[in-house]
Amino acid sequence: MATTTASLTLSSSDLLSDALSLSSTNTLYKAGTTTGLDQTTGLSRVYLDATTNVDIFPPIVEGNIPGENKNAKVYIANLSTTATEYVTITLCSQVIGRLYAGDWMFMPWSMQEDTHSDNKHGDIELTPSVDTGMTVEFMCIHEAIEYPAAV
Amino acid sequence: MATTTATITLSSSDLTSNALSLSNTMTLTQAGNDTGILNTSGLVRTRLAAANQVDLIASGAGQNYGTVTADKSAKVYIRNTGTSTSQAVRIGIGNASTGTATTAQSSAAATYWELGRLYGGEWMLIPWIATDNTSDITAFPTTSAEVYIEWMVFFE
Repeated sequence: MATTTASLTLSSSDLLSDALSLSSTNTLYKAGTTTGLDQTTGLSRVYLDATTNVDIFPPIVEGNIPGENKNAKVYIANLSTTATEYVTITLCSQVIGRLYAGDWMFMPWSMQEDTHSDNKHGDIELTPSVDTGMTVEFMCIHEAIEYPAAV
Repeated sequence: MATTTATITLSSSDLTSNALSLSNTMTLTQAGNDTGILNTSGLVRTRLAAANQVDLIASGAGQNYGTVTADKSAKVYIRNTGTSTSQAVRIGIGNASTGTATTAQSSAAATYWELGRLYGGEWMLIPWIATDNTSDITAFPTTSAEVYIEWMVFFE
């Protein structure tokens, strides 16, 4: 069993009149267990030079989705150093938010399939704000993920 | 200008044959510039004790901490403070302000989607688009057992 921990520290001495110093650490377990997550996509680093939305993990396909409603964690970081540049993060067609230069995010991912005709599914998509080139890193730590059959 | 930082550390000695030791610190800034984010909801603690979907963080005007401007820079921190490894809280985003758990899974008209599940002790930090009525962040415990969720919004 693998043991992977995720830690967060949020701090500020001047956002509030009371200093912010928040820490949280947890071990990444499979859903409903104390068994550690044991698979990962690895940390990917990509250079994107188009404002096209792209799937950053294998797209979810109808049928028996191995990771659906299980536990997976997603990390995404925008490595741009130009403050005006951002990437828009989308789940299905639902925009989550924008990662500006230097920003990162960490969230769970249910990998849900939809069952109506739109076939949008819970893919995580990323859209750069500019086509002049942006570098992004991302990784998924999970217990199961869908790899489409070869065609 | 306020300076607020968030540091993530992901580590494992045995997830892969090469040890994982990732650390990244960001300063929470406003959209398109280096000015620090100035507003926050404060750290909110919410008790949930029913297996119903609720708006945990509503988008749009009328929040007691102010209005998060859509399409700008905002961050949301959420943590399941419980200790259960079997009970999760399903965190979603979308048009769910009525409390109706209409998901995109079953309705083409719905815009709500489940992001993922936070088990006891787990946390998340995401950017937030905060579009009025279509970016509510929802919580849906998988059981009716009491659970406390902490959350905090940082926004400009």
